[in-house]
Amino acid sequence: MEQFESFRAEMDASNAVREQLRSAVSELDNATRLMNAALLPIHHSSSGDSIKKAKSYLPEIRKAYMELTAIIKARPEEYYKYHDYWRNQTQVVVSLLAFSHWLETGDLLSHADAQELLELKKEDFFLDLDDYLVGLCNMSSELPRYVVNQVVAGAYDCPERVSLFLSDLYSAFRLLNLRNDHLRKRFDGTK
Amino acid sequence: MLRAPLFAATKRAMSTSTATNAFHSRFQQYALQLDATNERRERLVKASRDVTIHSKKVIFVIHRLNDSNRDKIVEQAEKDLAAVRDAHVSRVAREVEGVDYWKLKRAFSPGMQEFVEAATVVEFCKTGKLLTLQQLNSSLCGVKDASGVSFSVDIDDYLLGIADLSGELMRLAVSSAASGQGLEASARIRGFVQALYEGFCLLFYNVDGGRDMTKKVEVMLQSLVKIETTCYSMHVRGSEYPASIVDS
Repeated sequence: MEQFESFRAEMDASNAVREQLRSAVSELDNATRLMNAALLPIHHSSSGDSIKKAKSYLPEIRKAYMELTAIIKARPEEYYKYHDYWRNQTQVVVSLLAFSHWLETGDLLSHADAQELLELKKEDFFLDLDDYLVGLCNMSSELPRYVVNQVVAGAYDCPERVSLFLSDLYSAFRLLNLRNDHLRKRFDGTK
Repeated sequence: MLRAPLFAATKRAMSTSTATNAFHSRFQQYALQLDATNERRERLVKASRDVTIHSKKVIFVIHRLNDSNRDKIVEQAEKDLAAVRDAHVSRVAREVEGVDYWKLKRAFSPGMQEFVEAATVVEFCKTGKLLTLQQLNSSLCGVKDASGVSFSVDIDDYLLGIADLSGELMRLAVSSAASGQGLEASARIRGFVQALYEGFCLLFYNVDGGRDMTKKVEVMLQSLVKIETTCYSMHVRGSEYPASIVDS
């Protein structure tokens, strides 16, 4: 029976970690929401300001990731034990970053660049590849709406550009042998 | 309908833009990483299934146990268990270095739970005690992952395995009662499972696999009640049996 007592202690400890993670993630959630909101006017007004404003939340996001890093760094092998806590937010962050990167450069944000933008240190707290790819799928579902609004605003070359980009992305995704899982479902949704 | 223009666009893009090629080669990199993980996961699922099958066999051996063959059966079961560990658990261990342990845990958890169940049932039949997680993991210290670190079972899998153990013990209790081995054997099992259940109630299950756990603890209670009922009816109706059966 002492064993169960010690399990209890260990579970208490892991619950304490969860508590810490929850508070760090809620910061991340907050900053992501603000960033998203800042980026949304892109659909109806000039792009420069929105992107700039959206980017102004990047330091906050970085700070939240720094907290997560600090927590996970103490138990590096348990990254995936707690992965669920930041998974969704990270996917949203990636999609926002990739979207604004595309708006600025017309190019695709790479996994390594995303990691760098978030100032993640690969050995302590990396960006999960699946999360990155799901983020891209999320972004690509945002693009059609953008196109529609751009056309309304008179930018008639926009559909062509987006279509080129998306079909590139689509063919790139086909290079991956996707397991029959969530990523695949997301990808199927982008077609 | 939609496909044709998309393909046309793809071809055009490939021939015109060099940026495209750049990110295609990146995607080839990603593909390699994903493939590696998926293959690893598949191997783990297979290894885990083998652990399950062979651990089940160990448990079947234990169910052949009766008073006369106890030592022989326990010895056999122990030998089989060690074989499962060396042949199959080691295959799991090889794939789960560092971060991968938790990443791929769901692929090998079922096997480990079954292994815990087999190991603890054998230990119970041998000593009447609960094999602790620490004891279990020290028996695994020879099983290394790719970087040479000893493989270990984590608390969740251990607890889920133990929860299944109560079901096996219920079967043992009922069969020993049925074969007329008397009150003592079932009473021992009853005491053991009662203590186990109390231990479980001490923990809260809002941790990973919390839902699994809640369900299993319910099943555990059912098993316990069954054991208690068996003991009860033997106790109450004991006078109806010849003394030689009840006392033996």
